[in-house]
Parts: sequence; structure tokens; C-alpha cells
Amino acid sequence: MDFIIGLIFWGLSALILFSGLMVVIVKNIIHAALWLIASFAGIAAFYFLLEAPYIGVVQILVYTGAISILMLFAIMLTRQVTGEGTQQLFKRWWVAALVAFGLFAVVIVPTIWFPRLPVAERGQPTYWPQSDRAAASATPAAAPAAQQEPQPEAETPQIAGAFEIGRSFMAEYLLPFEVSSLLLLVALIGAVVIAYEERTRRRRILTLAEEAELRRSVAGLGMERPLQASAQLPPGKSEAGTAERR
Amino acid sequence: MRAMWEFFFGVGWLATLTSYLTITTAILVAGSLVMMLLTWIERRGLGYMQDRKGPNRVGPFGLFQPIAEAIKTITKEDITPTDADRWVHFLAPVVILASTVAAFAVIPWGNLIPVDINVGVLYIVAVSAVHTVGILMAGWASNNKFALLGGMRGVAQAISYEIPQVLSLVSIVMLVGSMSVVDVIQNQMDPYGNILSWHIFTPVGLLSFIVFWIASLAEGERPPFDNPEAESELVAGYMTEYGGMKFAVLFLANYLTNFAICAVTAGVFLGGGNGPGSDIPILGTLLSVFYFLAKSLGLFFVMVWIRGVVPRLRIDELMHFAWKFLLPLALVNIFSTSLWIAIIRWGAEQGMGIAEALGAPGSIARIAVAWVVTAIINVVAFFLVARLNATRGVTTYQATPTAV
Amino acid sequence: MRSIVTAMPLEAILTVAAALFCIGLFGALSRRNIIGILMGVELMLNAVNINLIAFWRYLEPTNTSGLIFAIIAITVAAAEAAVGLAMVIAVYRTRLTINADEVDTLRG
Repeated sequence: MDFIIGLIFWGLSALILFSGLMVVIVKNIIHAALWLIASFAGIAAFYFLLEAPYIGVVQILVYTGAISILMLFAIMLTRQVTGEGTQQLFKRWWVAALVAFGLFAVVIVPTIWFPRLPVAERGQPTYWPQSDRAAASATPAAAPAAQQEPQPEAETPQIAGAFEIGRSFMAEYLLPFEVSSLLLLVALIGAVVIAYEERTRRRRILTLAEEAELRRSVAGLGMERPLQASAQLPPGKSEAGTAERR
Repeated sequence: MRAMWEFFFGVGWLATLTSYLTITTAILVAGSLVMMLLTWIERRGLGYMQDRKGPNRVGPFGLFQPIAEAIKTITKEDITPTDADRWVHFLAPVVILASTVAAFAVIPWGNLIPVDINVGVLYIVAVSAVHTVGILMAGWASNNKFALLGGMRGVAQAISYEIPQVLSLVSIVMLVGSMSVVDVIQNQMDPYGNILSWHIFTPVGLLSFIVFWIASLAEGERPPFDNPEAESELVAGYMTEYGGMKFAVLFLANYLTNFAICAVTAGVFLGGGNGPGSDIPILGTLLSVFYFLAKSLGLFFVMVWIRGVVPRLRIDELMHFAWKFLLPLALVNIFSTSLWIAIIRWGAEQGMGIAEALGAPGSIARIAVAWVVTAIINVVAFFLVARLNATRGVTTYQATPTAV
Repeated sequence: MRSIVTAMPLEAILTVAAALFCIGLFGALSRRNIIGILMGVELMLNAVNINLIAFWRYLEPTNTSGLIFAIIAITVAAAEAAVGLAMVIAVYRTRLTINADEVDTLRG
């Protein structure tokens, strides 16, 4: 059974990391978003493996079902400048790679070489017995883990699930719950206010000829200057705008 | 199931794996068979509603018509448009079918329970939300304006109707006190086979059923909410560029979604496999599967009926209906559910000392009072919301020259 | 009952989460597209969430604080994505570009 769990674990890790890597290096931004969805789904499966099914389901509902859809919508609404032709990475992307890799090294070396976590000895099956919790919380976290006998066959005591989450949201975590609901409300209203566009100022959908013209002007101006585009004009005036640009 | 395979193998994990594989295979085979039956029911039923016969040549009563069509679809050429994004175009039907089939993992077939996870109800909603990703993939990758429009419509509709759907399930979860589908069905069990213990026969459950059913029709893109694939406007929506086996997979996923909706509704509101004699050891299992299928197929017939009767909504009417009609009703329903629970179950220590006058928690008098109170609230809310929507003129349509 | 706790050391999960975090960091730092940057940030938030759940499962499985922290992190991520994408659309409307190095004037 341990072998199967390990196999699932490494398979999921490979899926998550590979699709995460594809998110950051792939050229087409829509493909990047789709790889991101794959990564989210792998992480949800990871939560199921960690016996937190509620978090896994919430991950699927929020990330895979909502946030990624939002991203795809945003990409499609800004489609004219996110095509495959444009350069997707900064010129000095290798600095970013260096920073990320350095951070990884800095984080991972102590994690692997000097494990100070009160789980168990390395290589041993780790287990945190219920009865030892009081004793261990009294001792400092860096205490030697020898006192915790590995008990792989014992029944795991009552992992907290959806029921306990609901209980503690209504009891000791009531304030964070209310604050996060307020945050959601603020984000909802803020998103509407920021993205709202009055109907009279709404941009007309460009025809194919106008779009080609726009692309040409973008290429001519170079990518440095922000564009004051003619497409911003209200519907009636766009003809004049096109003429001006010529 | 696991015990049976353990007898053969003697190894724990091999037995677990084999039992899961067996269950998965059984679900897939049964799902495909049910899908064939559903297409037959739909076409015959719709035929009789429109005063014609429907397919009746292949096999008895035309029952083998789906098989003939499956063979026809499989042997067709598999076409990918030249400008399509090949991989995404190929993966979209896979994503849609996978998300649909994954929902069946927690739906009990009568007394046969594939998996019982303690967040089952939420799991069904979450997994079926993934199929919006597939729809958007299909619409975008086809590189066709009708496909993209259909995909966008499908996603907007699915995301909007997800909210009333989840909120209507919240009141049932509050009633039951658990999110496990098995617990929800157990809660409607009555030792005397009394169907009045089903959730649909309480005022709270009835309103919840109405909201859930309508929202689910929209989730499954059933008429009158089939705007994403509206034939008269968008050819076939996001399915326009699909042919051969890929189209067959999309079609299969469509009908499996519909069946999943019927099965969930039957389980959550109509007692699942509960019925007279469903708790007898072995015969009861067969009976419960029969009751479950009867309820689900009955609900599917209601779907066909709605398709035959109600014309398609316009896309703005559809959105208004979700946000201005279903959502307030679902919220009101959550309120009256909490009243129901407070009146029936709470005592003096929870601050409901008034209810003690009516008798002990769960007594007939309390249930009667809760019935009347919640019924009044729900009926008043229903007509108030309907009236507000009618007088505010939400359905007026102004032709605007602009687009997004 | 065997579970991940008996099968895998905690460090393995932490390694995966750290790798994911660094991949997200690389994406957030190197992408020109603002939506690409947001994707990197989402990956980083997810890596943090994996860590939270892993610590909860290995150290305090009977307590709910880890789960609640993860849920609140997901909530914040959802709010961030909504507002961020709305801002992307607003920027696109006025500048007609969503590349981060081209949005460099303070004038609206």
C-alpha cells in the first residue's frame, strides 16, 4: 500500500511540476492557462491524497472551475496583443531564473539536510500520536523526535473534516470568516467598478481590415510607447480615426 | 466488493485496486447503456409530443436505433479543421467527458454505493463545474466564430447558474447536517415506506427542488436553456467543428450530464432508491436500483417534456432569470430552512424557549408550525420575486448597436 | 490504515511545494504579459497552500487551524484574481496593451 501511495505521490508531483513549468515557459498564453488548469487539478488530487477532501473539492470548485475560467476570459478579451507573435518573456529572463533557482536552493538545503521538524526520524514512517500531542507541545519544536514511537499500524485519530471546519468557523474563527466574506464583497464590487465601461464609450468590435491596420501601426511604433489607439473612439467616429492614422 | 476480491487475491492493495477498477467499469458500461436508452426516450417522446412517431424501424419500437447511430458515428472520418489548435481541439471532448463521468463516482445507484466521501454533494457540483473548461477549450480551439460564441455563452451560463444550484443545495445540506450523498438519502428513509419523508414534500425542499431543477437544466444545457448550441443561431455552438468519434464523445457527455442531473435530483429530493421493500437484504438492492432508475428516468421524461413545450430563452433573459429570480429565491429558502430547523429541533438552550411551549423537539405540533411558517415565507417570496421581475421590466429588449 | 503519512516523509511534500513556488516565482518575474504574471502568482499561492495542508496533516491532523488557513488563502487568491483581472481589462482598454513593461506612465 505504501508503494502505491508513493507511486501516486510521485506521479502527481511530476504532473504538478511539469505543468507548472509549462505554464511559465510555453509561448502561447492560452496554452499556459490550460497548463495552469492541469496544475490546479493535480494539486486538488494532492489534497485528496493528504486526506483533506474538503480542501480538494474547494480547490476544484474555486481554482479549476472559476479562477482559470476568469483567466481564459481575460485572455480572450485582450486577444489582439497576446498572440503567438509577441515576445512573451523579458529580455533578461535569466535573472529571474537565477533568482528562482537560488531561492529554491536556499529553501531546500535546510529542509533536506537539517530536518528540525517534530515528525519523526528521517526514513522512518512518520506519525504524530494523539496522546503525545500534549507532551510534545510542552517541549520545544526542535526536540529530538526519539520519544515518538512510529506506530504505523495504529488507527489515525479522527482527522478533522468538513464538519470540524464548519464548527470552528462558527466558533473560534468567526472573525476571520467575517473578514474574508467582507474581503470577497469588496473584491466583487471593486472588480465591477474597475472593469465597468459605460455603454456609450464602449469600444466597437474591429473589422478584420481595421485589426490588420492596428497591428501594422503597433509594429511601426515599436513596442515601447503606450498606444493611444483609435479604436478607443466611440462607434461613429472610428472611420475618422482610421483616416487620421493614415 | 472489496471483500470478494480479497478472497481471490489475498493482498490488500491489489483487492482495493481491483474493486475500484470493477466499480469504474460497471459505472462506465451502465452509463453508456443508460445514455442509449435516454436518446431513445428523448426521440420517441418528443416524436409523440409533436404528433409523429419518432424512430421506429431498427429493432422493436426502434430500440436499437442508438446502436445503429453509434456505428454510423464511429465509422465516420475524424476531421480536424486546418486552423484549429490541434491538441486543444482533441482534448476538449476528453475533458468534458471526464468531468461528467467523475461525478458518477459518488452517485449511489439505489443501495449500490460506489464511493461515499463526506463532501459528496459539493464534489458533484465542483466536478461538473470543470466541464465549463472543456466547453471553452472546444469553443476556442475550433477557430470558428460560431464555436467561440457558443463556448462563451455556455461558460457564462454555466457559471451563473452554478450559484443558485449550490445555494439551493445548501438548504438541503442544512436540513441533513451532512454533505455525504448517502446521508442525504438516509435522511429521507422512512421505515414504513412513507413517501412523505422525501425532501420534496416539505416547503423548504419544494422550493429548493424548483431552484435546483431549473438551474440544473441550465447547467446541462437542456432546452429551454440550450443557447450554447442553439441550432437556429449558432449552427451547433461549440460542437460545430466536431465530427465522427469526437462528436460522439461530446454527445455521450451531454446525455451523461443529463442523467447525472436526474440521478442527483432523484437522490437529493426524491429519496434515491428508497421505496417499499428496499431494505430487504438482497432483493431490496435490486428493488432499490429499480426505484432509483424509475425516478431518474421519470425526471428525464420531465426534461423531454419541458423541451417539447417551452421555447428557448434569449441570452439576456437567461441571465436575468438566474440572477434576479433564482438567486433571491435560493437565499430566501436558506432563511426559511434555518427557521425550520430552529422551530423543530432547537430547545431553550439554543435560545428557542418559545418553541418549548409547542412540545418536545420533533413533536407533531412543532412540525406543523414549521410547515405553516416556512410555507408562507416561501410562497410569499416566490410571488413577490416573480411580481418584482415582471413589473421592473427585466425582459425589455433594447437593440443596442454596440457589442462587448 | 495506511496513508500518506506512513508512506512519505514530510520533506518530500515540502520539496515539491518549494519547487512549485520557485516555478511560480520565475513565471511572475519573467513574463511580460500581466496575465502571465498573475498565473505565476497563483502558482505561488498554491504552493503555499500545499505546505499548509501538509503541515496540518503531519503535525496537527486533529486541529482545524491548518485547514482554515488554507481556505482563507484560497479566498484571498480568488479575490486577488478577480480584482487583478479586472485591472488587466481596464489597462487594456486605455493602453491597448497588457505587457507589463509598456504600462509605464502614471497618466491615465
